[in-house]
Amino acid sequence: MSILKMTRRTAAALLAVGLMGGAVQAQEKKDIVLGGSIPLTGVFAFAGVGVHAGITDATEIINSNGGIEGHKLVYVPEDTGYKVDQSVAVYNKITSQHDVNLYYGDSTAFAKTISPEVERSGKMIMAGASFASELDDPEKYSKIFIPGPTYTEMIGILLKYIAEEKPGAKVGLVHSDTEFGRDPVETAQVQAKELGLNMDLVISTAPGGVDVSTEVLKIRRARPDYVIFHGYVLAPIPEFITQARSMGLDTKFMGTFWSMDNSMVMKMGEVAEGFMGVNPYNYYYSDVENAPMLEKIRSMRDTYQSNAYMQGFFSTMMMAEATRNAIKAGKEINGANIKEGLQAIQDFDTGGIVGIPVSVKGNSVPVGRVYRADVKQQKMVPASDWIRLD
Amino acid sequence: MRIGTVKENYGADAALFDTRVQRGWLVVLAVALVLLPFVSGQYVSYLACLVLINVASTTGLNILTGFTGLVSLGQAAFMGVGAYIVALLEMKVGTPFILNLLLAGLGAALVGMVVGLPSLRVKGLYLAIATIAASVILHFVFANWTEVTGGVSGLTMPPATLFGMELNQPGEVYWIIMPVTVLLLFGAANLFRTRIGRAFIAIRDRDISAEVLGIDLLRYKLLSFAISSFYAGVAGGLWAYFFRVITPESFPLMMSIFFLAAVIVGGMGSILGGILGAIFMTMVPEVLKMLVGVVTPFWPEAVAVLSPVRIMVFGGLIIFFLIFEPEGLAEIWRKIRRFFHLWPFKT
Repeated sequence: MSILKMTRRTAAALLAVGLMGGAVQAQEKKDIVLGGSIPLTGVFAFAGVGVHAGITDATEIINSNGGIEGHKLVYVPEDTGYKVDQSVAVYNKITSQHDVNLYYGDSTAFAKTISPEVERSGKMIMAGASFASELDDPEKYSKIFIPGPTYTEMIGILLKYIAEEKPGAKVGLVHSDTEFGRDPVETAQVQAKELGLNMDLVISTAPGGVDVSTEVLKIRRARPDYVIFHGYVLAPIPEFITQARSMGLDTKFMGTFWSMDNSMVMKMGEVAEGFMGVNPYNYYYSDVENAPMLEKIRSMRDTYQSNAYMQGFFSTMMMAEATRNAIKAGKEINGANIKEGLQAIQDFDTGGIVGIPVSVKGNSVPVGRVYRADVKQQKMVPASDWIRLD
Repeated sequence: MRIGTVKENYGADAALFDTRVQRGWLVVLAVALVLLPFVSGQYVSYLACLVLINVASTTGLNILTGFTGLVSLGQAAFMGVGAYIVALLEMKVGTPFILNLLLAGLGAALVGMVVGLPSLRVKGLYLAIATIAASVILHFVFANWTEVTGGVSGLTMPPATLFGMELNQPGEVYWIIMPVTVLLLFGAANLFRTRIGRAFIAIRDRDISAEVLGIDLLRYKLLSFAISSFYAGVAGGLWAYFFRVITPESFPLMMSIFFLAAVIVGGMGSILGGILGAIFMTMVPEVLKMLVGVVTPFWPEAVAVLSPVRIMVFGGLIIFFLIFEPEGLAEIWRKIRRFFHLWPFKT
């Protein structure tokens, strides 16, 4: 008994010493700061709030599992109102107050503006809300990371799906006349041609335009099998579908990431039935096996979390993994080494955030899955298996 | 207590700064402006540059709206013209930044004169709509003249150079932005001591009476548009050197509304008003952010919860100031000065 007590006491003492030692060691290791120019207000706030929650939760989970190789991850966000000058101000503020190694930016314009400064500082890598194809250039934007497929790759995934489902199909592309909307237009036509699809119908709509009757008439004349929308969140997609359906068109309508959030799609009502699109992540409610991260998220937040949440969560996971790779390789924690660590990510298991193991290619992660709206279930359900672009 | 300032000659009467105290404070301000980048970090230098660019553009709009009485919502688009001119000159020609800024101002002034043509027939809200239309046309040109403007992707330009040194950091570009803005401010202040400036004020007060007095409305209204747009063009050029990425979305209509709000909040028809308005509109959101930052260590979710509240507080502050002092911040400043001048007597 006494031996047992002794053993318990000794074990407790050893544990305490071990914990203290661990604590001392953890104290010695510097914090890794993830700065964030987050659009918590303004036109992009619907996504910014989700991104913020996703990064916050991912940071908490990483830290509860010992941080990044013993380094505590500290998330320092600030609101930008989705304005470039504010985003840059936030960047300057956070980087002047903290030793930042990871950063999350809120827009393509911000990424392009701050990229030379990120390059010059040499301390960090940057992910963000932008999937702009232009940023997928490791030479020009060597410290940028796109947490998913670029817009060009999203269209590529959709076209690959279409080519398999209906070879030689007629595909229309409707995009907003913005930088975001125009992003994949030229490459999409080339990709369509390569896959034996016909993409002669390309329609551009004015930003914020609501009257789409002229554009719908163009669709009626061309009678495409599929129409892909890009550069929108919601409007004017429901108007397009409503008018097209009233004209008796059986065209299938599709969208890209920012118009694929479940709650957004379901806002369309009955019109949403059959609406499809590409999403690089699983949905909050996705019923998949071996998804400990999804389960963890659901245990932390019992209400639906948006795609933006998943995007923020995934960005943090990937940046943390990249940093972990740099530390494991015994390298200094700086931009170049973290980026090297990022590009070394091969077949990384995201715990169910993405349905298949992911690898970084260039600056992006070109995987995605096509989902279809099931209005009865009020859910986006898988329409394809996971598609990986080579 | 100061009971008055004796003016012994016309020169003294027309002086911009008429007392020794004022001149003393001016010296203090000049020293502070020179020392700022040496004693502040990158964040403060960044904000200083942003405030100065906004001051330059707001002063330009104040000349047109506050002094000439012509409402414009095209200021951001004129800044865009200046920014694109500077970017193109820097990238394709490689001319010195001073020349680039001057050409940006002149280019924007030319565009401004064309946009100002409707001002001969319409005033007030009608003119505002005409300038919005012009701004939409300019945005269309920025987005679609791809060979020149780079289309929706825009242009990424190299930094300005001074004596072979690249001015990359906010603390470095400051040495372009600060002197140019100070020059523009002195230019604007002096403008209203000339016949041209007084003609603008006469037009604002009653254009028919001004015409009866012999002021050529066509000439002076267009001149006002040209000068205002010149300021916007130079401010746009400074913006381009500061951010170095110019896209059609860099100069949205909201930005024009921002400048108009700065003129109104600061005080229309007052150079000081333009300065105070621009400082208010740029800095108050930052100060409110700092307040949120103070709470964050105790309440981590504060940034998410309080950010929308911050925007409402900012809007509320604008309304409060307009109700409390419709003449703008410049009038509040004058009242404060008068209080100290006449103390212990009531103002």
